[in-house]
Amino acid sequence: MKWLLVGSAALYLGSFRRPLFIAALALELFYLAMRGVGLGRLPLIGPQDTLAFFSCSIGLMALPFIYSRELSGRNDFLWSCGGLAALFAFVALPFPTLNMPLPPILDTYWFELHVALAFFAYALFGVAALLGGAFLFQGGRGLLDLQYRAALVGYSFFSLSMVSGGIWGYYAWGTYWLWTPKELWTSILWLFYSLYLHLRVKGPAWDKAFAWLGIVGFFVTLFTYLGVSILMKSSHSF
Amino acid sequence: MLKKIYTAFTSLNLGLWLLTGVMLALAAGSFSSGASESSGLNDFPLFYWLQNAPLSFSWWLWICLALIAILCLNALFCSIEALRTKGRSIAPHLMHLGFLLIVLAHLFSAYGGFKQQLQLPEGGSIGFPDGERVRVESITTEAGPMGMMSGYRAELRLESGGLSGIEPNSPMFHKGYGIYLKHVALTPAPLAILEIHKEPGALPALLGALIFTVGNLMLLAKRRGR
Repeated sequence: MKWLLVGSAALYLGSFRRPLFIAALALELFYLAMRGVGLGRLPLIGPQDTLAFFSCSIGLMALPFIYSRELSGRNDFLWSCGGLAALFAFVALPFPTLNMPLPPILDTYWFELHVALAFFAYALFGVAALLGGAFLFQGGRGLLDLQYRAALVGYSFFSLSMVSGGIWGYYAWGTYWLWTPKELWTSILWLFYSLYLHLRVKGPAWDKAFAWLGIVGFFVTLFTYLGVSILMKSSHSF
Repeated sequence: MLKKIYTAFTSLNLGLWLLTGVMLALAAGSFSSGASESSGLNDFPLFYWLQNAPLSFSWWLWICLALIAILCLNALFCSIEALRTKGRSIAPHLMHLGFLLIVLAHLFSAYGGFKQQLQLPEGGSIGFPDGERVRVESITTEAGPMGMMSGYRAELRLESGGLSGIEPNSPMFHKGYGIYLKHVALTPAPLAILEIHKEPGALPALLGALIFTVGNLMLLAKRRGR
């Protein structure tokens, strides 16, 4: 079934036109749906499934932006989104799939909601970073407004993910908060985007700094998602 | 003098610097041995841990707490000032209020939280501060298709005679305490590994999260199409 993911990544890479991007997303959604049907749950465990889910989230969350009036005809942005989604689909490929049932502690809708919302947020932070890059290269305040919107919706998803994670943690472990490296970096990411959203109040003189922060935020996101799992010992990682 | 302090605390720049400071303290802490899961930070209420852990373990958390305390004042004063002078949308202020409630909830848990692990066989019991005992009536497991344990459950008998089942993600709440089934062992005799938790901050944290979410949704609605 991995050929579906390979096909999707290849289509994303060639997505200079919207129909190709949509085809890549459809193929990836089909791949995840097949995985989900096979497992009887959302595929959210292990590096392979989470990276594929992240890639698909990027495709899904980029959709409203590639169809926005401000970005109509901007194939460079379309390709950037496709390239980002392809990158994570390709990174997912070498990892083995975990085909086990969910451990009892993860077998709850709160867990699935928590993880899915976090990936939607990560994806929107990725889209915001691409928009920040586009603004720095080409200018145009419309791009910065779109970046703000992507980050604001991402921040909302991320906040809801933290709330659902807290509720899950309370029912699973007896506490809505654990001091683990993953939770510390989750807080850092949330504070980072809180700072980003507040910076908007400072006005146009800070536009460049605002765009740069949107880019840096995605690196903080990647460290929270991947860096903590790779570099730190935490029971709270994939 | 008071006016100067008030003006300083309503400054957006102060808020931005404090956010940066908290992030840096948390990032430094995440690499330190104090935040590792073997440091015992999750085994005791936060204030108890802070009083007893060496400063080489806890320094980043002290810095973080000091900065968050000022950040809370900053958020509070900014909201008061904005509502007093501009009277605009209440969405950001609801988000501030939610944030403040969540910090307050952490303080409640940091001061009055409780956690204890117990291993009880069938027939074993948990004693509550008022003398009541809750007995483990039975321990059962389920096996998955490959023979591995896929689920487990314990039945608890209250002194009133009532029976209540606990399993992963489904604890029992009794007299302000949560009884959680962490795991079970079947050999040599069935044994339930239980955790007793008291989390006084849970309800205020949920309330804070709800208020924050309402403010967040209002902000999203306000920014739609802009």
